Amino acid sequence: MVNKRAAKLVAIGVIVAGTLMAESRKEYHFAVGPRAGVSVMNPYGSISVKPSLNNTVVVNAILHSDKVEVDNNQNGNRVDIQSHLLAGADPESGRVDYEVLVPADASITLHSSTGSLRAEKLNGDVNLEGAGGAVSVRDVSNAHVHVKTMNGSVNLDNIQNGHVEVDSLSGDVTMKGVNGPLVQVVSTSGRINYIGDFGSSGEYRLTSHSGDIEATIPDWTSADVSARSVRGEVHDDIPLQPKNHISFTIDKGRAFAGTMGKVAVSSTVVLRTFSGKIHLRKRSEKQ
Amino acid sequence: MRPEKGDLTEPRQHQSTDLSEAEAIERAKLGDAEAFQVLYDKHKRRVYSLCLRMTANTAEAEDLAQEAFLQLYRKIATFRGESAFSTWLHRLSVNVVLMHLRKKSLPVVSLEETTQGTEEDSPKKDFGADDLALAGSIDRLQLQRAVDSLPPGYRTIFVLHDIEGYEHNEIAKIAGCSIGNSKSQLHKARMKLRDLLKMNRAEKAGKSRAG
Amino acid sequence: MNCVELQESLAEVEDASSGEQRAHLRACPACTALVRELDLIIAAAGELQAAEEPSPRVWNSIEVALRQEGLIRRSQAGGTFIPSFITRWGAARWLVPAAAMLLLALGIYVRRESQPRQLAQEATVTVPSASASDLDDSDLMQEVAANAPAMKTQYEDNLRQVNESIRDAQGVVDESPNDEEARRSLMDAYQQKSMLFEMAMDRSLP
Repeated sequence: MVNKRAAKLVAIGVIVAGTLMAESRKEYHFAVGPRAGVSVMNPYGSISVKPSLNNTVVVNAILHSDKVEVDNNQNGNRVDIQSHLLAGADPESGRVDYEVLVPADASITLHSSTGSLRAEKLNGDVNLEGAGGAVSVRDVSNAHVHVKTMNGSVNLDNIQNGHVEVDSLSGDVTMKGVNGPLVQVVSTSGRINYIGDFGSSGEYRLTSHSGDIEATIPDWTSADVSARSVRGEVHDDIPLQPKNHISFTIDKGRAFAGTMGKVAVSSTVVLRTFSGKIHLRKRSEKQ
Repeated sequence: MRPEKGDLTEPRQHQSTDLSEAEAIERAKLGDAEAFQVLYDKHKRRVYSLCLRMTANTAEAEDLAQEAFLQLYRKIATFRGESAFSTWLHRLSVNVVLMHLRKKSLPVVSLEETTQGTEEDSPKKDFGADDLALAGSIDRLQLQRAVDSLPPGYRTIFVLHDIEGYEHNEIAKIAGCSIGNSKSQLHKARMKLRDLLKMNRAEKAGKSRAG
Repeated sequence: MNCVELQESLAEVEDASSGEQRAHLRACPACTALVRELDLIIAAAGELQAAEEPSPRVWNSIEVALRQEGLIRRSQAGGTFIPSFITRWGAARWLVPAAAMLLLALGIYVRRESQPRQLAQEATVTVPSASASDLDDSDLMQEVAANAPAMKTQYEDNLRQVNESIRDAQGVVDESPNDEEARRSLMDAYQQKSMLFEMAMDRSLP
């Protein structure tokens, strides 16, 4: 019994050691100027971007096997990183996980098919395109945030004064504290969940063909709201002042429209779904 | 030129089609996507291996292989069958690589004639101890690494002649050197490879003795 | 001939077949070993020909370039070909129908805004033929199956959903041609499909 256990432990140790030996770590440093552009194209694996302390781009890459290389190129103020798959690479062996530090004012573009994408504490433009991996953007201000995903979930947290566009096919989209001149989400079947105050006198357009849309807002929100579902139900927990002119027929149970708060400084909120449900909820004191 | 290797053992990429090369060429002239891929699958290893051996860099080799095939496809309408298609493609690939090396200012073939060798290249009287002798066969991977370690000029000649099978008169035309220069550089390349392989064996022998 | 001369002569007569070379080799084991080793290297060199396989990226890049340059033209039974204007779309060949549908929807939207009401009510929305759309969906799935097989199911599911959304939105537009919201929904649906095609093209270039 003891021998079998020992043999098992040795076997596990060998496997772990073998795995560790196959992995390699690479680090790259690039000096850049203000408003640099950084792109990371990584078919398999995650990418995480955080701000650096100075005008340096630091790329840490963990390569999971020798069937993938990291190509890196700097052209002036632009840094391009690409995972280069070699013959025989597959989603496992071709995987590279990146941790990237960039100056906070840098614009970033990240692509991955399988891995998660994460960006935080930046004020340059953020362009993220994923397929199945989760996408997360937090603490970004005064910037464009563009996200495309197939079925990976999208989480936006504390995006201030942003121009936000999210295109999701079936991934769910969750936004907390997202406001700006434009916040637009288009989804085919993903659910859209907004928790915030529709602030900044912006235009908010949340559209999902078959996914549900839920917006949770405080009752002091100033907004011109219209909601419509062609085949699904709509619910409104917050009393709205009726509007005089609406571009569609209010079919009770399928649509509502009205204003809340101070009209002079209100945002425009458009919630649309074909067959999903729409629910405008009042935020409780605890939220 | 050395005939193509590997065709008999390489699995067919397209089980559903029996396009011969001649048929694929004619259909490629008409823009048939599948025909392009058939031609690519048939010749990709040869072209890519050539590019890789000449540059010793996988990223460059892939870019050059891509460029070679693109040039081929752009010109395929002009292929009349006067020579073998593979010969035509191969010559095109060699030109693509050599142009790349020239752009990088790397010596395609050393311009030094045989009479002016360096001390390192001078014939040696001491050929090493018996236990370092290359015996039996040479490990392919070791030879690959040794070729990659050659200086660019030597590497080009060795790849073109010993790997790809070009004759010296062909190399002289392609590389723009004399036949004599081609021969002397080839000999130096082989000698250098011999030294590299012996060193490699010596290191391994030393390690196994120490272990 | 001494050893140094023998070595130098091998550049000209590689196989050491000259009389002088053979005479020296008969008396010199070291040079005999040298010639044998050089022969081994020459023999092994042949094994390096066609020894390496390029990554799939190479063909993918070639194919994209061929499409962009219009060198790939779709063949059909009987040898007839789609008109050459299609070929100019190159790499985005399968985006053409999706983009065309998008532009069609946009055109519908714009035309509605500018035409008098009575004309707008009479105008109808034409839908691209189902066969052309189906052909491009299958092209898309073939590309995904060939170049990103692990994602085939994801693409199938999403393609089915976007096609359903287009049909649904189209139905509403047909019922209510004046409904601006319905037209916008149709445009959104086409944009989503267009995005799926774009993503497939990107994924086919790992």
